[in-house]
Amino acid sequence: MTDRRRINGPPSGTRPAVFASSLKSASSISTGRPRRQRQPDELRKIFLKTGLIPSASGSAYLEFEPSASLAAARSNPQSLIPPSSALKLACTVHGPKPLPRSASFSPNVVLTTHVKYAPFAARQRKGHIRDASERDLGVHLETALRGVIVAERWPKSGLDITITILEAEDDRWWGDAPDSHDAPWGMMNVLAGCITAASAAIADARIDCLDLVAGGVAAIVSDESAEGETSTPKLMLDTDPAEHKSILSACVVAYMPSRDEITELWLKGDHSKASLGTTDQSLNHESLIDGAVNAARGAHTVLAEAVKESAERFAGLSTGANTV
Amino acid sequence: MATALPTLAIPGQRLGSIASYAAGPGTHVQNATIYASIAGPVVVDQAQPSSKAKLILSVSRTGPKKAAAPAPSTKASAKPATTGKPKLRYNTLPAVDSVVLARVTRVQKRQATVSILVVLDESASSQPLNPAQTTSDNDNIEAILSSAANPENHSNSDELRFQALIRKEDVRAVEKDRVVMDEMFRVGDIVRGTVISLGDQSFYYLTTARNDLGVVMARSESGNMMFPVSWKEMRDPVTGVAELRKVARPF
Amino acid sequence: MTAQRQASSASQSLLISPAELSYLYTSLSLPDGPIRPDGRSPTQFRPLTAETDILPGTNGSARVGFADGTQAIVGVKAEVEKTVVAAEALNLSQQQTQEDYADNEGGEGQKTSSHGHGSWVQMSIEIPGFRDDDALPVFLSEMMREPLVESVAGAGDGMGGDEMAGGLKGRLVINKRWHWRLYIDVLLLSQPLSYPLPLLSLTTHLALLSTKLPKLKSKGEEDPFFDDDWNAAEYLYPRSPSGPRLSSTKQVRPPVTLLVISVGDNVIFDPNREEIAVADTVLAVSVTQDSDSDGLKLLSIRTVDPPSRLTQPGVSNSENVATLGSTAAAEEAAMTDPSTGEEVAGVWRPRRGGVKRRTIAKMLKLVLQKGGVGEEVLEGLEGVQVG
Repeated sequence: MTDRRRINGPPSGTRPAVFASSLKSASSISTGRPRRQRQPDELRKIFLKTGLIPSASGSAYLEFEPSASLAAARSNPQSLIPPSSALKLACTVHGPKPLPRSASFSPNVVLTTHVKYAPFAARQRKGHIRDASERDLGVHLETALRGVIVAERWPKSGLDITITILEAEDDRWWGDAPDSHDAPWGMMNVLAGCITAASAAIADARIDCLDLVAGGVAAIVSDESAEGETSTPKLMLDTDPAEHKSILSACVVAYMPSRDEITELWLKGDHSKASLGTTDQSLNHESLIDGAVNAARGAHTVLAEAVKESAERFAGLSTGANTV
Repeated sequence: MATALPTLAIPGQRLGSIASYAAGPGTHVQNATIYASIAGPVVVDQAQPSSKAKLILSVSRTGPKKAAAPAPSTKASAKPATTGKPKLRYNTLPAVDSVVLARVTRVQKRQATVSILVVLDESASSQPLNPAQTTSDNDNIEAILSSAANPENHSNSDELRFQALIRKEDVRAVEKDRVVMDEMFRVGDIVRGTVISLGDQSFYYLTTARNDLGVVMARSESGNMMFPVSWKEMRDPVTGVAELRKVARPF
Repeated sequence: MTAQRQASSASQSLLISPAELSYLYTSLSLPDGPIRPDGRSPTQFRPLTAETDILPGTNGSARVGFADGTQAIVGVKAEVEKTVVAAEALNLSQQQTQEDYADNEGGEGQKTSSHGHGSWVQMSIEIPGFRDDDALPVFLSEMMREPLVESVAGAGDGMGGDEMAGGLKGRLVINKRWHWRLYIDVLLLSQPLSYPLPLLSLTTHLALLSTKLPKLKSKGEEDPFFDDDWNAAEYLYPRSPSGPRLSSTKQVRPPVTLLVISVGDNVIFDPNREEIAVADTVLAVSVTQDSDSDGLKLLSIRTVDPPSRLTQPGVSNSENVATLGSTAAAEEAAMTDPSTGEEVAGVWRPRRGGVKRRTIAKMLKLVLQKGGVGEEVLEGLEGVQVG
């Protein structure tokens, strides 16, 4: 049933218009594709700060450094469309608080995780009701965190972890047709960011944890080289999906460095064709996991600093008062 | 190994071996090693000064008071500094034996329902008769209480607080069978009590069966703050009317 | 609230006492191989009955039942749908080759036609006692859909490979303007007694194996027109006319998702409810068989939240209030916070922490290696009479 009295917009989301004048030639659009300028094992910088939301018992804000092409496009825009996006998200922790009356007795803390994209977070507008991918992210995050929290220290209480994604990673470069690689690769980066931010927020709320758990992403990508030939697949850490023509396989882990343990592992994609150096092809998944762990180690250094800052701010009040 | 202890710990940080320390709050043990489990200053405490028990290593959740100085002497020196400065809110769950302040929300024939406002500091609960310690440790309580005792503030924030029950037989230590709940508590009173059980899924159980436990603040029928006159009576300073309560011994 | 919490973990309310949990854990983590409650070997699956093509109104269907009475039915329905061509204005690189298309129009070998879209495969799971938007059905359907759309076979060099170029997604393309949309509806007929993933995955696999699409009569870019003789329909996943055993390694097969748990140093397949309740790690591993590689292909791994993290801890004798004072250790235990203490043998503690990388590697090796569990399962499923 269509409404004939109004002119309705298209039923699904639309792409931003590309004006012919902005495309100087057919080739300009392929050169407009952002290119990875980092080393394969170089991570993007992370901005992480805790304690920004006073009403929550713990909170954290996380931002990935925009990739070089995005930074360039912002200072010198050639098109209305930004070439890629950078992750920005906020995490709040509420609790420990009493369980609702209807809940049964629990000897452990009851963890609930909510991951929600802001409607304007991605290129395609997200609704206000959580969709399947957001619920899926919530379950992944819950798995990652439940292994870390010392749950039996908080009997009969609930802990709500809410993440709002203000800007999400792209799943692909906007200029690519949606079917070039349609898997939601950006979701994996979002999950890694969620894990790191949630870990900082939990530490900020002083909930007992085994370790600070950090998220990391690694992917096997086959990039287009300058001649347009697809090169041999390479393992890259912290991939920005907009910068790659095709991602064969990606992996995200939640990793605890001090125990060398993984609480959450999500790997997908077909990497059987990729030959990474000398390793056996059947062991590609292991190098992928190792790569993701290395990326998580990198994120952990940022995380540790942010939590230390939170602890100093916390303890700092007394030293400040002592001098007065 | 005391020298190797960091002043500030973050979760997952290695603190020491179980051979030289005992694990206290804020830490956990993995493979005979003590790791921090929250971020905060590292505190070393002696359980009993005379015994040769291991030093207890813990990460302080309440933060400021005796930050990062393992020497026992700091306790005295830090004391003057702690008075009158704002303290951060802390996340403390009621546990068995912890002293709590709670507001009465409902009085029934056999029990009173209260909602727990604040869990007093562990050190305060272990020395309940030291008034100076109690007041200095919990100086933000005044703010909580003044807002909580105000009848207009009885919003639905009870949903966010832990609920507890004071059963009739837990009100006082003597003459338990003569207790009339209406003469012990009224809705809106602030009660100091200790937790005797984590209870069922919805309620903790409190007791006020001690001299220093009971109603600490109450308003009269006409809405004025009352002062205690005996262990079972409080009086309105304006109207002079006395009301019955199970009064906590004032300091 | 409670239902939702348990939904996200690996199984429903399990009322197993700490003593039972500890007993199970100890027997499953024995160094000489686990002793499972039902006497199976670590890699052995539960016996099941399976049949296919049970629903005449579908393109493909299957029913699988376990001996404990849990049954699942999967129906696959296919619909023809118009492909939204929104990308053309942007696909300038394709525009350059537009002239090539003009020549190729009506021909067989369009390069781009092998690109399908993941959203063409829809999967919905219904589990009694759960709402559609509860965490468990959502998680399960994402977990099973992911490997389906992810399995992209390379340019075919095997015999069945040409048809399956681009994987399942590519197979759904009819021509540039039309494609198939696949609806996979999974119905669990009973309350899930154990984590229903293996059951649902095996049933889906069989249903997809038996799925037939009508034979296309039209050519090239014409509007699609199909042969209405159902007997002439073609299998979605092509089957070789000869015996399945012979050429089984050459055929593209739908993925299977296996549930693997680790307890102590042991790796156990197809866990039942009691076993999963004490698992240290639960992994869902999806594998498939491909035309161009002789081994199995790993498509996805996901960790599942082990329910052992939510269990109630046991109380060791030294901490037991009932015997307090009668044991020498009681005094010492009273000194320290019991929750920070170390594990006592034989006393159940909820699992905490994660999984070591070498454990993951071990689990994957058991699945993927030649003659491993993955091949065994696929071979077993191949044996089910289809059609």
